[in-house]
Amino acid sequence: MTRALLTPVLRTLPWRALAAGGATALLLAGIPRMLSGAPDPWLGLLALRGAALALALGLAFLLDDPARHITSAVPVRRPLRVGLRVALAVPGAALCWTAAVFLVPEEARPPVGALTLEAIATAVFALAAAALIIQRSTVTEPGVAVSTSLLSTAAAAFLLLPDGWALLVTPDDPRWTDTHERWAMLLVVALVVGARGCVEPLRAGLRLRPF
Amino acid sequence: MSTVLETPARAVEPAHPARPWAAVFALARFEARELRMTVSFVGIAALYIAWIVWQSTRSEGDYPVLQDVDRATQSMPLLMGLAVMLGVNRAVLRSHRCDTDRHFDVLVVEPWRRTVAHVLSVVPAVLFTAVCVLVQFTWAALKPGAVGNGSPAELAVGPLTVLLFGVVGVLLARLFRSVFAAPVILVLLLFGMLFVAPSSGSNWTSWLGPVVTESGSSPFPSDLLGRPAGWHVLYLVGLVLLAALVAVLLSGGRTTVVKVAVAGSLALTLVGAVGQSSGTPAGSTPARDRATNAPEKVQSCLKRGGSTYCAFPEWTGRTADWAEVVDRVQNLAGGSAGGERLTVRQRIDATYGLETDTLISPSTTPGQVTVGTDWGGNRVPEFAAAVASVLVAGNEKAGSTVCDARMVTIMWLALGGESDPMTALRNVRLDDSVSGSAIVLSPTESMSMSAEQTRIVVDLLKKPRYSVAGKVKAKWTELTSPKTSTARVAELLGVPAADKSAAKAEADGDSCQE
Repeated sequence: MTRALLTPVLRTLPWRALAAGGATALLLAGIPRMLSGAPDPWLGLLALRGAALALALGLAFLLDDPARHITSAVPVRRPLRVGLRVALAVPGAALCWTAAVFLVPEEARPPVGALTLEAIATAVFALAAAALIIQRSTVTEPGVAVSTSLLSTAAAAFLLLPDGWALLVTPDDPRWTDTHERWAMLLVVALVVGARGCVEPLRAGLRLRPF
Repeated sequence: MSTVLETPARAVEPAHPARPWAAVFALARFEARELRMTVSFVGIAALYIAWIVWQSTRSEGDYPVLQDVDRATQSMPLLMGLAVMLGVNRAVLRSHRCDTDRHFDVLVVEPWRRTVAHVLSVVPAVLFTAVCVLVQFTWAALKPGAVGNGSPAELAVGPLTVLLFGVVGVLLARLFRSVFAAPVILVLLLFGMLFVAPSSGSNWTSWLGPVVTESGSSPFPSDLLGRPAGWHVLYLVGLVLLAALVAVLLSGGRTTVVKVAVAGSLALTLVGAVGQSSGTPAGSTPARDRATNAPEKVQSCLKRGGSTYCAFPEWTGRTADWAEVVDRVQNLAGGSAGGERLTVRQRIDATYGLETDTLISPSTTPGQVTVGTDWGGNRVPEFAAAVASVLVAGNEKAGSTVCDARMVTIMWLALGGESDPMTALRNVRLDDSVSGSAIVLSPTESMSMSAEQTRIVVDLLKKPRYSVAGKVKAKWTELTSPKTSTARVAELLGVPAADKSAAKAEADGDSCQE
C-alpha cells in the first residue's frame, strides 16, 4: 500500500514552495561568503538562523494538498499519509541544511550542533502546526497560515522575549547552554503536538478556524 | 394575415449615476474585516496592547524622556506590519487560490480598482497602530516625571511602517501569483536589511530600512539628537505611494495619471533618501561638543536649599527630585559637610552620537556632583553614592578613587536615608549582591568596596537610622580621614569586629591595591 502511495504523494508534494524555501536558505547562508572583508561570526550566526527560518517556511507548506478531501477516503491512516510526506521531504531538507552550514565560512561558523537543534525545532514547530490545523479544521492548505504565524512568532521572539527567556543569543553569551536546553524543550513540545496532530480524530472535537 | 408588431426602441439607462468607487469602498471594508479576523493579526494586536501596558506600568519607566519614548514606539509596529503584510497578500491572492479570478471578469469593478480596495483595507490596521502609538506616548507624557519633547515625525514612523508593509503585500501579490512568495521574500528582505545595514548603524544604508532605532547612550537633549526624522517620514511616504501606484499599474490601471504619479512618488522617495543620508547635521556636532565640554553655557541653574542645580533646559523640572536626594544624604553627614553648598551639574557625553555609551569622567571641581539624564530606579542610589563621595572626599575625582575605610561612611550616607536600604544596596552594586567585594556604580566612574566594608555597611543598614546617625556625626572627622583603618571604623560605629583572618585580609586590602 505504501509503495502504491509513493508515486502519487511524490507528485503532489508542493515542490515549488519547498524549492523556494531551500533556495532562500542557501542564498541567505551564502551571503557571508559574498560579502568582502574578514568573516564575521555574528553574520555567520545570522545567516544560519535565516537559513533555518527559510527552510522551516518551505516545510510549512509540506502538508498542503488541494485534493485532501478526495484522498482522505483512501484506506491508509493519517499517520502514514503525513509520515510519508515528511519522510520524502526530510532528506532534501537535511541536504539543504548541510549545504547551508558548509556555505558559511569556517571562521564565522557558529557551533553547528546547537544551530542544528534550533533549525530542527523550528522546522518541527512548523510541521506540527500544519498537522494540527489539518486535523482540527477542514482547511486543505494550511501552509499560508503556518508560515504567517511562524514568521510572526520568530519576529516576536526576536523583539520581545525577556532576558530570562531569551532564545536567540550569541555563542559568547553565558546563557548559550540554557537557551539550548530551552530549544530542546521546545523541540520535545513540538514533537508531542505534531504526533498528536497526526492521529486520526475519532470525534469532532474543538474545531479551529485558522483564517 | 400578418401582424406587424413594432416594439419601440428603448434606450436602457441606469437608474442611478455610476458610482464606481462605492464598490471599492465596500470591498475595502470587507477586506479590512477579513484582515482583522485572521489569527495572526488578532494575536499580534493583543501582544502589542499587552506590551504597551507592560512598558508603561513598569517602574523603570517612571521618569520617561520623551525624545526617546517617541523612538521606542517604532519597533513593535514592525510586528504588526508583518502580520498585515502577509494577511493582505493572502487576501489579494484569494481569488487566484480559489480559482475565482474568471468570475471577476464579468464584474464592473476593474482589477486596478480591486487593487486600490486592497490597499485601502490596510487603513484600519494603520489607524489602530496610530492609536496604540499615541496611547503609549501620551501615557509616558502624562507621568509626573516626564521630561523632554516628542517629535511628530518619529511618532509617524510606526503607523507608516504598517502602511508600507501592507502596501508591499499587495504589490508582491500582483508581482508573484503564489502564496509562498510573500513570506520567502519577507525573510529575504528582513535578513538582507540586517546584513547590509544593521538597524543600529548610523551610515546612510541603515536609514533605507523602515525603522532606525538608535539606542545605547543615555538620553540626549532633543536639539542634539540630529536624526533626520522628517526626511525619513518623507522617504516612507514616497515608498508607500510608489508601491501602491506600481501595484495599480501592474493590475491594469495604465493611465497617464498613474504613470505621472509613479514618477512623482519615485522622485519623492529619492528626495527623502538623499535628505536622510546626509549624516549628522552640520549644526549638531558643535552643539554636541558644547554640551559635552562646556555644559554651563547651555544650562540654567536653580538654587534649592543650600545647593545649586544646573540642568539642560528640558530637565529643569527634575531638579526637585535631585534636591530631595541631596538633602537626604546631607542630613546624615556631620561636620562642615552637613552644610556644604554643593553644585549638582547634569553632564552627558554626546561626542560619539546616540549609539555609544560613554563613561563621563569625574569632575575635579570641589563640591560638584554629576548627574546623568536618566533618573528613577537604580539611578537614584547611584546619584546618592556620588553625593556622599563628594561630601566625604571633597570632589568626585577623589571620591571615585576612595578604597579605604571611608567607603563605609560613603555607602552609609548614600543609603542610610533610603526607605529600603538593602534593596538600594543591591541595586547600586554591579553584581546585585549584598556580601563580598563589589563595584559600586555612580553617574561617573565606579567605586569599589571590599568584603569587610560590605559586611559593616550591611550591619549598619540593619540598625535603626538614628542610632548610627549620632555616631557618624560625632566621629565625623575620624571617619572621613583616609588614615583610619576599617577595623577602627567598625569599632567607632559599634559594629562587632570580624574574625582574625578576615581582618588580616582586610588590612592588606586597605592599601588600595587591586
